[in-house]
Amino acid sequence: MTDAIRIENLKKSFRLGFIPKMKEILKGISLSVKEGEIFGYLGPNGAGKTTTIKCVLGLIYPDAGTIEIFGQPHGTARARQALGFLPENPYFYDYLTAREFLTFYGDLFGLGRKETGERTGRLLKLVGLERAAGLQLRKFSRGMLQRIGLAQALINDPKLVILDEPLGGLDPLGRKEIRDIIVRFKQEGKTVFFTSHILQDIEMICDHVAIIVGGRVVKQGALQDLVSEKVLFTEMTVSGLPPEAFRGLGESVSAQGGRVLLKILEENRVDDILALVRERKGKVISLSPRTETLEDIFVETVTGT
Amino acid sequence: MIRNTSPAKGSAAFLLVIFLLATCASFMALKVKTDTIVRKRVPGSSIIYIPSGKFLRYATFGYSALAADAIYLWAIQYYSTPTIDDRFNYLDHIFAIISDLDPTYTDPYETGALIASAEAGDTGLAFKILDNGAAKNPGQWLFPFEAGHIAMMNLKNYDLAMQYFKKCMDLPGAPDFTKRLYANALYKKGDNETSWQTWLEIYNTAPDERTKKIASNHLYQVKSAMDTGRLKEAVGKFRERYGRFPAELEDLVRSRLLGKLPKDLDGQDYVYDPKSGDVKAATIPWKR
Amino acid sequence: MKITAIAGITFKEAKRDRILYLLFFFAAVAIITSRVLAILTVGDRVKIIKDVGLASISIFGVLMAVLIGTSLVYKEIDKKTIFTLLSKPLHRAQFILGKFLGLVLTLFVMTVLMSLIFLVLLYFHTFKVEWTMLVAIAYIFLELVLITAVAIFFSSFSTPILSSIFSLAFTLIGHLSWGLELLIKKMRAGAGRSAAQFFYLFLPDLENFNFKTEVVHGLPIPAGIYLYSFLYGIFYTAFILGLTILVFRRRDFI
Repeated sequence: MTDAIRIENLKKSFRLGFIPKMKEILKGISLSVKEGEIFGYLGPNGAGKTTTIKCVLGLIYPDAGTIEIFGQPHGTARARQALGFLPENPYFYDYLTAREFLTFYGDLFGLGRKETGERTGRLLKLVGLERAAGLQLRKFSRGMLQRIGLAQALINDPKLVILDEPLGGLDPLGRKEIRDIIVRFKQEGKTVFFTSHILQDIEMICDHVAIIVGGRVVKQGALQDLVSEKVLFTEMTVSGLPPEAFRGLGESVSAQGGRVLLKILEENRVDDILALVRERKGKVISLSPRTETLEDIFVETVTGT
Repeated sequence: MIRNTSPAKGSAAFLLVIFLLATCASFMALKVKTDTIVRKRVPGSSIIYIPSGKFLRYATFGYSALAADAIYLWAIQYYSTPTIDDRFNYLDHIFAIISDLDPTYTDPYETGALIASAEAGDTGLAFKILDNGAAKNPGQWLFPFEAGHIAMMNLKNYDLAMQYFKKCMDLPGAPDFTKRLYANALYKKGDNETSWQTWLEIYNTAPDERTKKIASNHLYQVKSAMDTGRLKEAVGKFRERYGRFPAELEDLVRSRLLGKLPKDLDGQDYVYDPKSGDVKAATIPWKR
Repeated sequence: MKITAIAGITFKEAKRDRILYLLFFFAAVAIITSRVLAILTVGDRVKIIKDVGLASISIFGVLMAVLIGTSLVYKEIDKKTIFTLLSKPLHRAQFILGKFLGLVLTLFVMTVLMSLIFLVLLYFHTFKVEWTMLVAIAYIFLELVLITAVAIFFSSFSTPILSSIFSLAFTLIGHLSWGLELLIKKMRAGAGRSAAQFFYLFLPDLENFNFKTEVVHGLPIPAGIYLYSFLYGIFYTAFILGLTILVFRRRDFI
């Protein structure tokens, strides 16, 4: 199976400012997105995420490197036939109604009148904007715009969907809906490539992840490989015993309202403390090992580089 | 690293450049063609809708001198297009506008008068334009100067010519021969007295030998005219009295019709032909 | 066809622009006022109506082409609506051509409307239909098409204000071609003159589309010029569009 996207050593510099000073934005990006997976692309602001996407889409011309979409060189119009794209903070022709908007994009793909009409109806339903079909886009809320943008990205039933910050600015309910839609894409066999700041969402749905910092991909791999099962520390909440009882055994002891919260760094200590609590007739309220999260990895990577 | 431009991109740009060169060559060739097709032109005919120059002066927002230049340039092109048959219809109006916009711009007055007199054959308009120029530029000798010439050459109206030359001969910058033109116009008009006076002034104030000679020749001429006039008058009276021409000029003195025989400026006698009664000067003034 | 889809949407967008109707209003006022002016002149009254009418269609048409054309592409880039558009399987050339056709369609409609007012007014004055007016208007429209292409060209890389200035400068230069011709006649042969001659042929000559004087004065128009002027307009427009596409193709949209 060919990779949905294959980027090799992508480089791009821009001439910024009045005095033309070259600023290298992408310093040699290499990554590959397998067909049928959900790929998360993370990085701090200004790392080059959007630039990478624009290179893939042909909005920006790379200085060096190759990009292939399903094995085809990315530059041709044909390569974009199986693509769907939702930009960050999307702007659309605000005087069109939702239906006119989707019909226009259907026409752009050369779909027939009938086919376009069908797909428009289906997509409006999918993103939950049926009732707003006749409403002008200028009257849409941010969340609604995001959703109609998603619908537009799907008008051609693409194999590959590229989303730039699709979850930005949405309330928790909205985010859940989009997440569910993305997961459904995967179930339909589509490939999804998206960027996000919200690491919990990425952790929830991505198969593969790449972290870009300063124009370079510094970490890449399957999510489960990156985020180890390693236990960082264990949190235990105990009642019935004073904090002094744990001095020397657990770290960061804090007490509040008769309960003591312990953060136990060494795994082997946990059994010791459990024994102690049982001995002193205390009560264990909760016990939870904290494993490494994506956020930990991310912070560590970004601050380390 | 290999550049991410597929061969298709390169050839597309190449084709585009070829396309651009082809279309460019085509339209340039077409322009050559359209230039050869003669079209009836009445350029700027809408100028007649422009109201009087006074209004226009304010309407051009302080760029009236520039507007005058532009209209003048246009007018030159307009008047040098012989295929426009009725181009002289608005000659007056157009040059009046230029004058209103920039009264001190000398060239249009001259050119307008030239077009009027030489091409349109309307000397009245030429005078109108030059008088307008003189009125707006009283210290400018050029306008009455040109007017005087038109009067002299085209109209042979020596009285008018004299008036114009008189007006300009004392203005600053006027050429020194203006006074001579004035004096000559007086002579041609027939006012020998004043002509003589003026030529005498010129002779006395002559800055160089040449001018003196010219003045001297003219004085000779004027004196000859005055003298031959008197002589002819006397001959005529003689004829009335005696029914025949006198045999010689002395007869006029003997018959007391003249006090003394006048001599020309060089002291020569005047030549008398008893058969016709004609009196003329012995020398041609310029051959002295 | 993708080009027609974009043309359609451009037309929809352009006809919402209030400038269009403002200019149309002033054109209508100018044409109707000519009727009043006609009463003030002595002699041929119809001439003023014809002159003002054709001039209005021309001037206001140019203003429409420039003011709307120069913001057309710029707005798309500035408002980033172009991102979703160009990420579709669309050649950038198709985008430019679509915008161009959409605006041409808009101008066509406006020209027809202005001409209607003009011709109706003329009819009520002369009680006959003058078909020659349509010839003049047709070539005015061709001039507008060329100016539209120029406006879009500048709009693809410059701000609306600068683009408008450049486009209007183009129009002005186009009407002063005869001045350059005069200048060349007075120049001595040499490098300077050759350069001037090249510019003379290269720079636009919009007088090729100007049949207003002939039509108003009833002068005969030589037959050959119809075809050559038409071709001139077509080729020059094609050139400008080609240039636009060349510039637009390799542009990065940051």
